[in-house]
Amino acid sequence: MDISSFPILSLIIFLPLAGAFVIAIIPRRNVAAIRGTALLFALATWVASLWLVLGFLPARDVVASAAGSFQFVEAVDWIPLFGIQYKLGADGLSVALVVLTTTLSWISILASFSPIRERVKEYMISFLVLEVGMLGVFLALDLFLFYIFWEVVLVPMYLIIGIWGGANRIYATIKFVLYTLVGSLLMLVAILATAYTFQAATGSWAGAFDLEKLAGAGFDGTFQLFAFAAFALAFAIKVPMFPFHTWLPDAHVEAPTAGSVILAGVLLKLGAYGFIRFAIPLFPHGAHVFAPLLIALSVIAIIYGAIVALVQPDLKKLIAYSSVSHMGFVTLGIFIFQAQGLQGAILQMVNHGLITGALFLLVGVIYERTHDRTLAKMGGLGAVTPVYSAAFGFFVFASVGLPGLAGFVGEFLVFQGAFAFNPWVGVAITFVMIFAAAYLLWMVQRMCFGPVSEFLAGLGHHLTDMRPVEILTLAPLGALTVILGLYPGLVLDLIAGPVKAVLAAVDPAVAMSIGR
Amino acid sequence: MTLSDLTVIAPFAAVVVLAALVILADIVKPGNRHLALGVALAGLVVVGLLTLWTGQTPGTAFGGMYKVDSLTTFLDVIFVAIVALSCLFAPDYLEPRGLPIAEFAAILVFALGGAMLVAASADLLVLFLGLELMVIPGYMLAGYHKRDALSTEGAVKYFLLGSFSSAIFLFGLAYVWGLTGSTRIADVAARVGEIVAGQAILSPGLAMGLAFLTAGVAFKMAAVPFHYWTPDAYQGSPTPVTGYLSVGPKVGAFAVVLRVFAEALLPLRQEWLIVIFVLAALTMTLGNLVALTQDNVKRMLAYSSIAHTGYMMVGLAAYAAGIMQGLEGLLFYGAAYAFMNLGAFAVIAALQKRPGVTSRLETFAGLGRREPALGILMVLFLLSLTGIPPTAGFFAKAYVILAAVQAGGWLTVLAVIAVLNAAAAAFYYLRVIVYMYMRDPVGEPAPVAHGALLRLGLAVTAVMTVILGLFPGLLLPSVSAAAQAIGVALR
Repeated sequence: MDISSFPILSLIIFLPLAGAFVIAIIPRRNVAAIRGTALLFALATWVASLWLVLGFLPARDVVASAAGSFQFVEAVDWIPLFGIQYKLGADGLSVALVVLTTTLSWISILASFSPIRERVKEYMISFLVLEVGMLGVFLALDLFLFYIFWEVVLVPMYLIIGIWGGANRIYATIKFVLYTLVGSLLMLVAILATAYTFQAATGSWAGAFDLEKLAGAGFDGTFQLFAFAAFALAFAIKVPMFPFHTWLPDAHVEAPTAGSVILAGVLLKLGAYGFIRFAIPLFPHGAHVFAPLLIALSVIAIIYGAIVALVQPDLKKLIAYSSVSHMGFVTLGIFIFQAQGLQGAILQMVNHGLITGALFLLVGVIYERTHDRTLAKMGGLGAVTPVYSAAFGFFVFASVGLPGLAGFVGEFLVFQGAFAFNPWVGVAITFVMIFAAAYLLWMVQRMCFGPVSEFLAGLGHHLTDMRPVEILTLAPLGALTVILGLYPGLVLDLIAGPVKAVLAAVDPAVAMSIGR
Repeated sequence: MTLSDLTVIAPFAAVVVLAALVILADIVKPGNRHLALGVALAGLVVVGLLTLWTGQTPGTAFGGMYKVDSLTTFLDVIFVAIVALSCLFAPDYLEPRGLPIAEFAAILVFALGGAMLVAASADLLVLFLGLELMVIPGYMLAGYHKRDALSTEGAVKYFLLGSFSSAIFLFGLAYVWGLTGSTRIADVAARVGEIVAGQAILSPGLAMGLAFLTAGVAFKMAAVPFHYWTPDAYQGSPTPVTGYLSVGPKVGAFAVVLRVFAEALLPLRQEWLIVIFVLAALTMTLGNLVALTQDNVKRMLAYSSIAHTGYMMVGLAAYAAGIMQGLEGLLFYGAAYAFMNLGAFAVIAALQKRPGVTSRLETFAGLGRREPALGILMVLFLLSLTGIPPTAGFFAKAYVILAAVQAGGWLTVLAVIAVLNAAAAAFYYLRVIVYMYMRDPVGEPAPVAHGALLRLGLAVTAVMTVILGLFPGLLLPSVSAAAQAIGVALR
C-alpha cells in the first residue's frame, strides 16, 4: 500500500482511542482481556509509527515551508467559520517524538500489568486516551487542534496520578492540573489573539489557525512579546523550567510507575516541543527578546536541579530533580539559537525519554518488591539481585553521560553550542556534570554496593531478581540507548530539516527587524 | 387579530394550551403521573416542531408587539429543550418524596410560555409581561417542597428579591418610556440614538433609566453584587427544580438583556459596556472564589452558575465594544451551558433518588465504583463546565474569549481574568471528581435503579455536550443567524 495517500497520522493518533472503546465494552471482571487489548492496541500503534518512519525517510528534505518540512499532511475543514482545520503533518521532529511516545506507551502498559490490580479497565482506558493526546500534540499543525490535544493529555494524567498514585496523590495531582491549566489557558488567549491578528491583517479567517500560514506571517513586535510570553509560560510549566518546576517532584513521587515513565518520558517533551514547533517559529522576535531570560533560567535549572538531587532521600524524587536538570539542557540548547545546541536539545529530549523512562521503570521494579523508595534503607542489591543492579548501573551511566551511550551525545552537542554561545555558560554547565556524576553514582553506590541492608535482608525471598517481563520492558530502551549512543545520526538525520527551519525562523536579521 | 398573527404566535399559543392540558390531565386522572408527564412531553415535542416551523418565516404579530426572528427561534428551542429535559429528570427525584409531578410539569410549561414571550417581544411591555410570567413559576417551584424548611426559605428569598428587582426593572422601563415616548423596541432604539447623538454626557434621565434596568436585570441573571438570593434558592429547592432554575431563568434573563440592552439601548452601548465589564469581572471572580469553599455540591454549582453568568457577560461586553462574535459567543455559551449544567444537576438528582440523601460532597465518594455510568457522565459534565476540550463548555469559553480578544484593549484584560478564573474553577470541579474516583465511599449505600426517562435525559445532555464540543460548526449557522437578527454592523 502506498503510504503517502494513506491517512497514517490519523491512524496513529486514533488507534489507541479505538483500543479505549474496545476496552470500554469488555466486562471489568475480564482483567486479562483488558490488559491484552490495551497492549495489543499500543503495539499496533507502535508498529504504525515505525511504518511512518519508513515512509517518512525517503522524502525527508523535500517539502519545506517556514514552519518546517511536513509530510503526510491531512487537512479537513473542521469549523470553517473560523478557519479551524483538522490538520496534521509530520516532520522529522514529530516523527522522532511520535516513535518515542509509542515505544514508551506499550512498555508502560506492559509494565503496569503487575502493579496495577485495581480498576484495571479505567486505568487502561486512561492510558490509551493519554497516548491519543500526546500523539495529537506532536502531529497537529492547527493551533486550535493542538490546544485540544494539549488539554486532552491533562485529564487522563490527572486520573492516573489521582487514582492509582501514592499516599499524597490527591495533592500532587491537583497541583499538576492547576499549574498546567493556568499556563495553558493563557496560551489559549494568545492562540485566539494570534488567529484574530492574522484575520484582521488578511481580512479572512481562512488559515487563521494554520501553523504553516502563521509561521513567518511576521506579527507586530509588541504583539509578539505578549504572545510569546503566554506560550512560553505554558511550555515552561510543562518542561518544567525553574521556577515552575515544583509540581514535578510531587507528581513523580505520587504517580504509579508507568505514570512516572510517561510523565518523564513524554509529557515533559511536550513543553520543549511546543517551544520548537510553535512559540519560536510563530514569534521569532519575542523569542529573541526573551531568550536571555530563558537561557538564564535554563542554567539555573541545570545547576539547581543537580544540587537538589544530591540531597534527596527518595529515589523517585532524586530522579525527578535530575529531570529538571536534564531538561535544563534541552531548553538551553533551544534558546542559544545555534545548530549544535538545537540538535543537542532534540537529541537530549529523545535520550532523556529513554533513559529516565527506564530509570523510573527500575524504581518501580524495586518498589513493587520492597514498597519503599527510601535510599537510606537500600544497600547491597548487587549481591541479592545482580541482573537488576546491572541494569540499574547501565541506565545510570547512560544518564550521567558516559560516552558510547545515548545520554552523552545530546549533552555534548549542547555543551558545544553553549561554549560557542558564551564560554562562561559553557564552563558553568560543564561544572555541573560533576554534580550529576556525584548524585547519580552515589545513588548506585548506596543502592547496589556495600553489605545488604537490614531492611532488604528482612524481606528474605520476597526480594527476587527481575522477572522476564520486566527485562522485556527494559530491553528495548537499553538497546535504543546503545544504538543512539553509537549512532546518533539516526535521529540527527531525521531532525536536520526541522533544525534548519527553526534556525532560519530565528535568524536575527529577520526576527529582530520586525520589532524595529 | 388576523390569521397570519395566529401562525406567528402558534408556538406560544400552543404552550399556553399545553399548560392547560397538563392541568386538565391531572384533574381527569388525579395522581396519574404517566398521563401528565406524557401529555407534557408530547406537547413539548409539538411546541418544538411548531417553533422550528414558524421560525422558517420571520414575522410580527399584534401590530408589531410580538416578533419572530432567528433569535426568537434560537432561544425558544433552547427553552423548550430545557423544560423538556427538566421534565425528564424530575420523576426520579419527586416521586419518592411524594411531590406531585403534574403540577411540576404544568408550572414549568407556564414558565416556558413566559420565556418564549420574552424572546419574541418587540415591545418593552410585552417583554416585562413575559419576564414576570417566566419568573413567578420559578418562585412557585422553589418553594414547591412545602414541608422542607430550606425549600421554603429559599423560595421566600427568591420571591422577595425577585419581586423587588422586577419593580426596579419596571421603574427603569418607565424612565425609558418617559424619555422616548415609546415602548416599542425599534422606536426606543431610534429615539435613544437621536437623544445621545452629539451629546458628550448622558442625560440624567437616561442614566437613571439605564441604572435601574441594569440593576433589575443583574438580579435576574444573578450577577454579582445582585446574586445573594441564588445560593439559598438553589440549595433549598428540590434538585430538578434547581437544575431548571440554574439554566431556564438564566438564559431567559439573557434574552431580556439581549432585547433591552443589545437592541433597545444599543445606542448607549458605550455606557453599558463599562457597567457590563465591571459586573462581568466581579461576577466571575466572586462566583468562583466562593464556590471554592463549598462542600455542598448543589451550593457549589449555584456559585459556579454565578461564575458562568460572568463568562457569558464577557461575550456581551465584547458585543458592546462592537464585536458581533461577542453576541454569537454569548448565544453559543447559553446553549452549551444549558446542556452541561442540566446534566450535572440530573446526576445529583439521580443520586438523591432515595429521600434523605444529601448533596454534600461525601455523597459522591466512591461514585465511580458504585455507579460507573453516572460517574463518567458527571466527569463529562464537570470537565465541560471547567472548559476542558473537546466539550461544549470549552468551545463556548473559547468563543467568548475570542470575541473579547478581538475587541482588544481592556477587553483583553477581561479575557485574561476569565481564563484565570477558569483555572481556579478547575479546582472545585475537579474536587468532585476526586471524591468520585479517589475516595472510598462512606458506608455502602444500596444501589438504586434509575428511571428510563432520567436515562434518556442524561443521554441527551451528554450527547449534546460532546457534539457541541466536537462539532460546534453544526450550531454556528443558527448562532450567527440569531445574532444577525438583532446585531447590526457596529463598527
